[in-house]
Amino acid sequence: MAAPLPELDWPLTRPFWDAARKGRLVMPRCEDCARHVWYPEERCPDCRGERISWVDVSGRGRLFSWAEVKHLLHPPYEGQIPYVSGLVTLEEDPRIRYVTRIVDCDPADLSIDLPMEVVFRTLTFRGVAGGVRAPVFRPARTPARS
Amino acid sequence: MTARSPDWGFAGELEDISGQMAIVGVGDAIYQRASGRNATEIALDAIERAIADAGLRPEQIDGLMQSPFMGDTLSADAYRDHFGTKQEIWMSTEGGAMTWAATAPIAAARAIREGRARHVVNLFAVDWFSQKVAGGDGPGRYHRDERMKANFEVPFGWFPQPVYFATIARRHMWEYGTKAEDLGAIAVSCREHATRHPDAITRDRPLTLEQYLARPMMVDPLRMEDCCLISDGGGATILTSVERARDLPKPPVVVAGVAEGYSGSGAYWSQQADFTATPQVFSAPLAFAQAGITAQDVDVLTLYDPFSIVALMQIEDMGFCAKGEAGPFVSGDRLRFDTPGLAYNTHGGLLSHAYVLGIAHVNELVRQLRGEAACQVADCEIGVYGGYTGHMASTLVLRRDR
Repeated sequence: MAAPLPELDWPLTRPFWDAARKGRLVMPRCEDCARHVWYPEERCPDCRGERISWVDVSGRGRLFSWAEVKHLLHPPYEGQIPYVSGLVTLEEDPRIRYVTRIVDCDPADLSIDLPMEVVFRTLTFRGVAGGVRAPVFRPARTPARS
Repeated sequence: MTARSPDWGFAGELEDISGQMAIVGVGDAIYQRASGRNATEIALDAIERAIADAGLRPEQIDGLMQSPFMGDTLSADAYRDHFGTKQEIWMSTEGGAMTWAATAPIAAARAIREGRARHVVNLFAVDWFSQKVAGGDGPGRYHRDERMKANFEVPFGWFPQPVYFATIARRHMWEYGTKAEDLGAIAVSCREHATRHPDAITRDRPLTLEQYLARPMMVDPLRMEDCCLISDGGGATILTSVERARDLPKPPVVVAGVAEGYSGSGAYWSQQADFTATPQVFSAPLAFAQAGITAQDVDVLTLYDPFSIVALMQIEDMGFCAKGEAGPFVSGDRLRFDTPGLAYNTHGGLLSHAYVLGIAHVNELVRQLRGEAACQVADCEIGVYGGYTGHMASTLVLRRDR
């Protein structure tokens, strides 16, 4: 697909987009040491194991930080301004920071560590044909565990 | 120095050349927004001025260092054609701006020791404003084209650089209580210096803290004033041995320490374990140790400052104050050249002087140490440049010849 849409057929990342199309959030995990490997790599950065498999994650996390983009800086984002983009740490492994769009919220209500939950949206861009179903996050509507 | 012993990055293993090399000439092409000149013309303008400043002749330049990663490069033939000379020129890709404006003296020292060069130009020149006007890509291209970023950051709007650093700034504010006024203090001090500097692009646009705070957010929590300019311009710095430098007309400025540090997560800011730090943590202590100084000994500091928050973090990570305390440290007018505190980016930096990625920062230090600066710091003996690229930081300590 044309940028800024992702490549759906890159073997290293294809399972992510295949799962997203079905409404599932998956992450690569090392079968040897159980570490989640993000961004995707062919070998585990901790134990160098090569057996990486994609596993479902809960889609719950916390807001690590965010930016509210109020000025058009990249032409394909035209029509989306203002928007919020940021990092969400995942419940399974807070070392993973998932870069995502933050949706369905008033930016004034956001705070660091706010519980978040995944929702799936189709990302489209001005002047770019097609779109992609992608996991994005919103403030959690169901109470966080623990 | 910070008390923590971080494990999210590491120091580069560089040769210690302290006391071997000196800067003998500096030249800056005219800084403009759209110049109508290409990068080669800008580069030659800067080199011409540096050669004149050093009291050398064009045929005496026999080394040329540039960065292969950023901007255009100048060929040896283009140099010889322009100056009408015939000499051999040692070419190196270990120079340029950003972090390499600090580390260039190491490869230059090796070339001089091995007899391959005697007077080496370190060069950086860009025509990015003209490119932007022409619909070109400018400095965001590297990040957009990096494959993992293209797949997992750009689709989610986490691009270009102001978005990264707004996210970092917000986290720094939460972790350490940093305020908009603290970022503003960085921007306002740069602008204050720029208004006194004949070369600075924003010399006619003063900025008070009140005006800063009233400006709209560009990428909240960053305002336009927290972000670097885009401009055409370039600088050249002439390096030689300390012995040779003492025969030239200008007082030598000696390279007293050079170091570099790396982030273990590379250029993926999103995944850096200490999200609100820079690899200066790994670099500055080594350079200061080589030079036999502490942060308290530094008379003037220039920092690669693509965003105000990057300067704020480097001030902490280099040990000018404890981690998290840069806000109070920079507040008020403590960064001005003529007040107690730390004289910082006395030419205006990337925020207010020009966007030439650090080469002008080094040239400014040389002028400060010679006593030639527009915003001259009194009794200036030690100057430090902090370079940065995201996955790397570097530190250059310069001192007046003893």
